[in-house]
Amino acid sequence: MKSKAIEIQDLHKDFGDIHAVQGASLDVQAGEIFSLLGPNGAGKSTTISMLACLLEPTSGDAKVMGHSIGHEPMAVKRVIGVVPQEIALYGDLSARENLNFWAKMYGLRGAELARRVDEVLDVIGLVDRQKGRADTYSGGMKRRLNIGIALLHRPQVLILDEPTVGIDPQSRRNILDTVKEFSRQGMTVLYTTHYMEEAQELSDRIAIMDRGRIIASGSHDELVKIVGELDRVELTLNAPAERVTTAWRAIKGVRRITTNNGTLALLADDSNLVLPRLFESANQNDVRITSVDIQEPNLEAVFLHLTGRVLRD
Amino acid sequence: MKALDIAFKDLLRAFKTPFVLIMMFGAPLLITGLLYLAFGSLAGGGDLDLQTVRVQVANLDRPGAQSGGFAAGEMLVEFLQSEDLGDMLEVTLADGEGAARKAVEEQQADVAVIIPHDFTAAALASGREATVVQYEDPTLTIGPGIVEDLVSQFIDGFAGAKIAAGVVTQQLAADETVAQEAALAYAAWLESSGHGHGDETTPSVDSRPPAGVGESASEGTGTIGAIMIAMTIFFAFFMGANSAESIIREDEEGTLERLFTTPTSQAIILGGKFLTVVLTLIVQVVVLLLASGLIFGIKWGQPLTVFLVTLGLIVVAAGFGVLLMSFVKNTRQTGPVMGGVLTLTGMLGGLFTSGVPNIPEAFDTVRLVMPQGWAMYGWELALQGSGVGGVLLPVGVMLGLGALLFAVGVILFRKRFA
Repeated sequence: MKSKAIEIQDLHKDFGDIHAVQGASLDVQAGEIFSLLGPNGAGKSTTISMLACLLEPTSGDAKVMGHSIGHEPMAVKRVIGVVPQEIALYGDLSARENLNFWAKMYGLRGAELARRVDEVLDVIGLVDRQKGRADTYSGGMKRRLNIGIALLHRPQVLILDEPTVGIDPQSRRNILDTVKEFSRQGMTVLYTTHYMEEAQELSDRIAIMDRGRIIASGSHDELVKIVGELDRVELTLNAPAERVTTAWRAIKGVRRITTNNGTLALLADDSNLVLPRLFESANQNDVRITSVDIQEPNLEAVFLHLTGRVLRD
Repeated sequence: MKALDIAFKDLLRAFKTPFVLIMMFGAPLLITGLLYLAFGSLAGGGDLDLQTVRVQVANLDRPGAQSGGFAAGEMLVEFLQSEDLGDMLEVTLADGEGAARKAVEEQQADVAVIIPHDFTAAALASGREATVVQYEDPTLTIGPGIVEDLVSQFIDGFAGAKIAAGVVTQQLAADETVAQEAALAYAAWLESSGHGHGDETTPSVDSRPPAGVGESASEGTGTIGAIMIAMTIFFAFFMGANSAESIIREDEEGTLERLFTTPTSQAIILGGKFLTVVLTLIVQVVVLLLASGLIFGIKWGQPLTVFLVTLGLIVVAAGFGVLLMSFVKNTRQTGPVMGGVLTLTGMLGGLFTSGVPNIPEAFDTVRLVMPQGWAMYGWELALQGSGVGGVLLPVGVMLGLGALLFAVGVILFRKRFA
């Protein structure tokens, strides 16, 4: 049986009247990739900040590799590598100078430092550009360097906070492949994202967060079972969705309806039975359905099912 | 060790930034040079090293028995040989007129001064004239000009006495004894005044700094030294604040938060940032002192004294910078705050009036309200050649004030990142 790399127990964090995290509890097994999935403002980054000992919990505790974040923050910091959401490196220094400095902050010195810097430069593919100023790098290169800094001291737990935000598909692909490689090497990865596809592709297990609470957790298959055999149907209309939503909610087999940016999403028992009724109802209300997308049960459907809202708000 | 790593990283970043290099070294040296060229040298100031003028004096003066022991020629020789003129003139007595001329022709001397045999008689009697002849090396201009001025001023004194006597003579029906008494009275005054402390005898050879250097600047300091140290102090305070600003900059860049995720305590991280401020100032002030010494030939004073005032300046500038930045919320505020506060306090501290004549003496006291004023005061004393004892007060104030400002700034920063 695998040991627990991270144990979160009833963690709370308040900022005045705002309850950013409300009683989060979960376990992450050693060596697995665990994703925290949720929309912006769900409390993912706050949870990670507490695990990285940047924020003190209002109540509750968490242990990383057996060390309490409240009582042994230095021990926790020695075993974790944190990749912040925003790129945090010195743009006026080169990749090597950045890595040299951060390696010293993790306590590396001398030959070990030089060796690790060389290895990390190789892993992040910046050997050829190691002497160039970081602010001259492309967005993807900066992201890779941002990740590389967290790998210098061979952390047992790697925490990545939305590392693919705002980058091109090729760089995203590169980062996802790198994370999988870390996992193959035995590293525990805690990954936050609001991209369902990333969580689905990467994770051994997933926790879905919303409004400071963990509303579901488990493997992808376990989570999808929550919505059972429901189909997720996404439609676009040539008119405001409000003209049909009341009528559609009354249609037999329609479970939930939500609108977002002109798109209408619904959960249905059987899309083949429901769709003709939707078209008929649209005609009666002088509304044209301009596109239909039927999806197999997925995490998006789970989130919709549990919260009544779409993940990408 | 990690604190040093942080400080060295910040220094490396600073030295890669052209703006920082300009503000650290370029601006103070450039502004000093421009101000000096614009005002210092045009006003005749500065520390010009004039070559000593070699003077051969042939004193042919033969005072008669009626002179009552008064010898004007001898007095002129003593005047030229006086200590006040020792740095400028190297006076040698020649055996006669021929020997003096020959010394000039053979370039053994720059100037020959021939005092005529009736010099005393002419000084004592109204209506008589005697001419002091000056031979000079035609290739020289400044040295002979100085000697001519000095001799002329000496003779003008007697001429003034004769004019005064002449007026009296007209009123008292040409009584020559009045003229003689007037000349003797002038000679006595000349003796008592010490040949050079009187304004009329040595106005242009007074080695006091001319217009362009304030009352506070010392003898031998010169315009350039006063301006340079004012600029050094101003830009040291600027760099103190600018280095402390890196804490706020790193906070905005996210690197400070990332540092807090490493196994490095907050005390070490902030300690490293504060060490950056001190190291930056050490590098800046030492380089500026050495560079300005080489470029402008400024002699800063006794080494130990200079060390102490340098230490005081670094501590007080670091403390001021850390405290100032502890009040600033983001880098958008730092520009106006640094520009406004440092300019205002620099002005009140006397940094921009250093070398300006006719500043009320009361300002010397008022400026001490500001840390820059104490720094300026300490450095002025050092430039005047003051020993360690002389600068203990300003250095003590700078160290104490700097430590206090630093401590308050550190507390505020620690509270911010707690």
